[in-house]
Amino acid sequence: MRFRSLTLFTLTASLIVLAGGLTPVEAQLPKQGKKLKKNAVAPVPTTAPTTEATPPAAPAKPLPTVVPAPTTKDAAALARLIDAEIDKKLTEAKIPASAACSDEEFLRRAYLDITGVIPTAEKAKAFLDDPSPDKRARLLDELLADPNYGRRMADIWTAKLFPRDSANRFVQKEPFYKWFESEFNANTPWDVLVSKLVTAEGDVTSNPAVTYFLANRSIDKLTDTASQHFLGIQLQCAQCHNHPFTSWKQTEYWAMAAFFSKVRADNPKNPNKGADNGKIGVTEGNGPTRQRDFLPESAQTVPAKFLGGEQPRLNPQQPYRPVLAKWMTAPENPFFARALVNRTWAHLFGRGIVHPVDDMMPENEPSHPELLDALARHIGTTGQFDLKYLIKAIGLSQTYQRTCKVVPENKSDVQLFSHMSMKVMTPEQLFDSLAQVTGLGKDGREAKGAKAAAKGAPVGARDQFVIFFLAGADMASAVSYEAGIPQALRLMNSPITNNPAVVRSLTAGVTKPAEVIERIYLATLSRRPTPEEQQLLQEHVARAASTTAGYSDIVWAVLNSSEFTLVR
Amino acid sequence: MFSTRLQEKTRRDFLKLAAAGVFAPSLSGWLPVMARAATGKGRAKSCILLWMDGGPSHKDTFDLKPDSKGAGEFKPIKTAASGIEISEHLPKLAELMNCGVLVRGMTTPEGAHARAKFYMHTGYREGVGGVNYPALGSIISKEVGSTETAVPNYVAINSRSYGAGFLGPKHQPILITDPNRGVQDLRAAVSASQLDNRTGLLSKLEQAFQREYSAEVITDHTTTYQRAMQLMQSKEAKAFDLSAEPASSRSKYGTGRFADGVLMARRLVEVGVPFVEVSLGGWDTHQDNFARVKNLSGQIDTPMAALIADLRDRGLLDTTLVIWMGEFGRTPHINTRGANPGRDHYPRAWSLAMFGGGIQGGRVIGKTDKEGATVIERPTTAQDFLATVCELMGIDYNKQNETPSGRPITIVEKAKPFTDAII
Repeated sequence: MRFRSLTLFTLTASLIVLAGGLTPVEAQLPKQGKKLKKNAVAPVPTTAPTTEATPPAAPAKPLPTVVPAPTTKDAAALARLIDAEIDKKLTEAKIPASAACSDEEFLRRAYLDITGVIPTAEKAKAFLDDPSPDKRARLLDELLADPNYGRRMADIWTAKLFPRDSANRFVQKEPFYKWFESEFNANTPWDVLVSKLVTAEGDVTSNPAVTYFLANRSIDKLTDTASQHFLGIQLQCAQCHNHPFTSWKQTEYWAMAAFFSKVRADNPKNPNKGADNGKIGVTEGNGPTRQRDFLPESAQTVPAKFLGGEQPRLNPQQPYRPVLAKWMTAPENPFFARALVNRTWAHLFGRGIVHPVDDMMPENEPSHPELLDALARHIGTTGQFDLKYLIKAIGLSQTYQRTCKVVPENKSDVQLFSHMSMKVMTPEQLFDSLAQVTGLGKDGREAKGAKAAAKGAPVGARDQFVIFFLAGADMASAVSYEAGIPQALRLMNSPITNNPAVVRSLTAGVTKPAEVIERIYLATLSRRPTPEEQQLLQEHVARAASTTAGYSDIVWAVLNSSEFTLVR
Repeated sequence: MFSTRLQEKTRRDFLKLAAAGVFAPSLSGWLPVMARAATGKGRAKSCILLWMDGGPSHKDTFDLKPDSKGAGEFKPIKTAASGIEISEHLPKLAELMNCGVLVRGMTTPEGAHARAKFYMHTGYREGVGGVNYPALGSIISKEVGSTETAVPNYVAINSRSYGAGFLGPKHQPILITDPNRGVQDLRAAVSASQLDNRTGLLSKLEQAFQREYSAEVITDHTTTYQRAMQLMQSKEAKAFDLSAEPASSRSKYGTGRFADGVLMARRLVEVGVPFVEVSLGGWDTHQDNFARVKNLSGQIDTPMAALIADLRDRGLLDTTLVIWMGEFGRTPHINTRGANPGRDHYPRAWSLAMFGGGIQGGRVIGKTDKEGATVIERPTTAQDFLATVCELMGIDYNKQNETPSGRPITIVEKAKPFTDAII
């Protein structure tokens, strides 16, 4: 497979040639075939009055369909499609799948993946003791309806769209974060949400989505962030030279950038000098923006053109961004739905179907191209870009519900999804989970108040914790253990894991050591201790200077254990 | 797991080579690319970066222009290196200039503090390409440091400095906000015997979990905890404890937080820490430049001279590179801000100093014009300088490290190091 892609690559001079040479396979979808065929043949119909479609010389690769997808929104049917495709590749590779995960594994995994926090002891107990066969599906529904889902998604997307950059120290992050939280909780369709971001106008207070432009305040940053995060493509190398290992040409970069050429984003000023950064915002003018620092030295002026697509006729009296947003979020856009599916997949599995997740260049083949295409096509049409629906479908699949435990024959598999990968809690997940157990940062989030927030300063214990654990990185890697000595020292020796009040609350109303130990385990590891663990820990408590000291040792040990910090 | 990582890496290299047109049928030709290629040039094992926060005035420290417009109040003095003169307020360093190299032709594009600091620490402009670039200390931690021992690889003293970027928290600095208080969270919250009980318990939990799941991340977690625990109990941790330094030797460094930090840096280098950054703020002298630079010069002269002498006496100077620098220089002319004017930001021409690390002292690289305004000989970019530091540390600056999303980033790009002129 790799050699094939390389051969193709060496033979093709550009994406255009590569795409033009492939014929989409779409015979297997009788019901939708007609409609889809129409889309595939004439992609990107721009209906905006100010644009006129010129026939594309060579259309970007349309979405081929080779796997029948459900014709209605049916999460269980979509899950079956996922499993069929995954199992097909495993069979071809003669790699066995690992066993289904236990309820304990599923519970903690689903909680952390969807809501970003472990279940409470009570919730864990209720789920584990529930005998009904559909409890996993019901748990997925419950978690997707939980307000913490919005917080988890806001954590993920704020980190991507609001870079930690010295230029952003005066940009308010909080309104943007809250906006994401409520949009995700409301389950705004992804195409609508991205359109809101890309076309945002107004000021921070009335439309927090404009923060996207304030936090990426130059034409190249905007081009990079929009292509990377919404289209899954790393264009930035093409800013200064033709991309070294893809087909993107420098002119294509600046042709995409041209859609942002009229954006005017206010410059956030120092709030200590009286600036009100809630009042600043974004407009789109009638001519190219001449703001200082908006254009880098390498900027080229070329007509706006969709990436790998046509050159729309733009009316300079009208804003350009809606034209871009319309092309970008269309179901037939060759990148948009794929990028969403791939990101969501990576969010749940720790690895994309295309890996790296935002490097969806033609030379970087997906591990499961048919599955990616089928999911992308489905979510963009029947699925209505419904993110909760997509997560539910993946969550219901046997592929998602496999254990992390490997067997010798699938031990070295990383890309066929024969077993679940062991993920590492993000700093946000770690903080929220520790907070739930220990009360860490109870007065945290709002503690420093609006004044600090207006300065863009870390607000409260959670932000400070996250910054300390990220240690300068943009975001944590999903599957590699990144914490260093300072973080380990903090977790071992600071009050976080040494707070006597935690032991008091965990032992309240329970007297028997076995019950206390069970409660500690349910509250931290979301499972009951094994008989061996019970014995070991009861002996420990019996030997300790006092029972309280013994329990505090257990709490300390579980909170510092890899089982706590990993998502199995 | 290792084999799968290798696979990823291999695939990337393939793509790069294919793009470059080197698609040879034989695989043997490109395998060595993946090995760490030592440059063979440098022999330094440690680096101490003395960071002059705010941007020190080159015309009032290491590149005086007594007859120029805006010459300022300070007089140059002769140094132990013939032909090299520096400020009269750095008399002790003057005596050690035979161990030092002055780079007087620094020229850089960033003139705002935060961006210039980022640039000089990383060699990249902040925000470009959507990558969070690692600072020099993290690069050295990654390329030279050990991840097996308790000895930390990157210690930052007195300020937050810059972090590991995409190299990840393993290479972030241990931060010392007050040298007299040592490492945060280094002391256990419970007695030694209770800590023993706890770590014994933790290690049993870890073993059981690893037996059940056998995943590399579990080993990584265990290793990090073991290193942290080793540090808590190690003799190396004593290097962070300034009270263990004999009073006579401590007094040589003078007093103050910077002096304490420089002393700690020496103690850390002695136990093998490869990178220590000590910062001293206050160099942003838009106003009252001369009184302030005189005072700051006094704050650096004594501890730096003590550091260099101590390293020399201990036989460590040859393997320890000491760098004195800030984010840019200051204007050659004196501004008109009030009764006590100063100098403003000036990245176009400025100076930095290097001592030890196997370099031939008593040399000057580059030259500015008679005003100290323009570099007229051997302009040196941030990349040239950082690549030189890499070479002195035995690091191949052309090596590429990958971001978590798999993009290869060259340690230092587009550099013309001047290593050959100073070793």
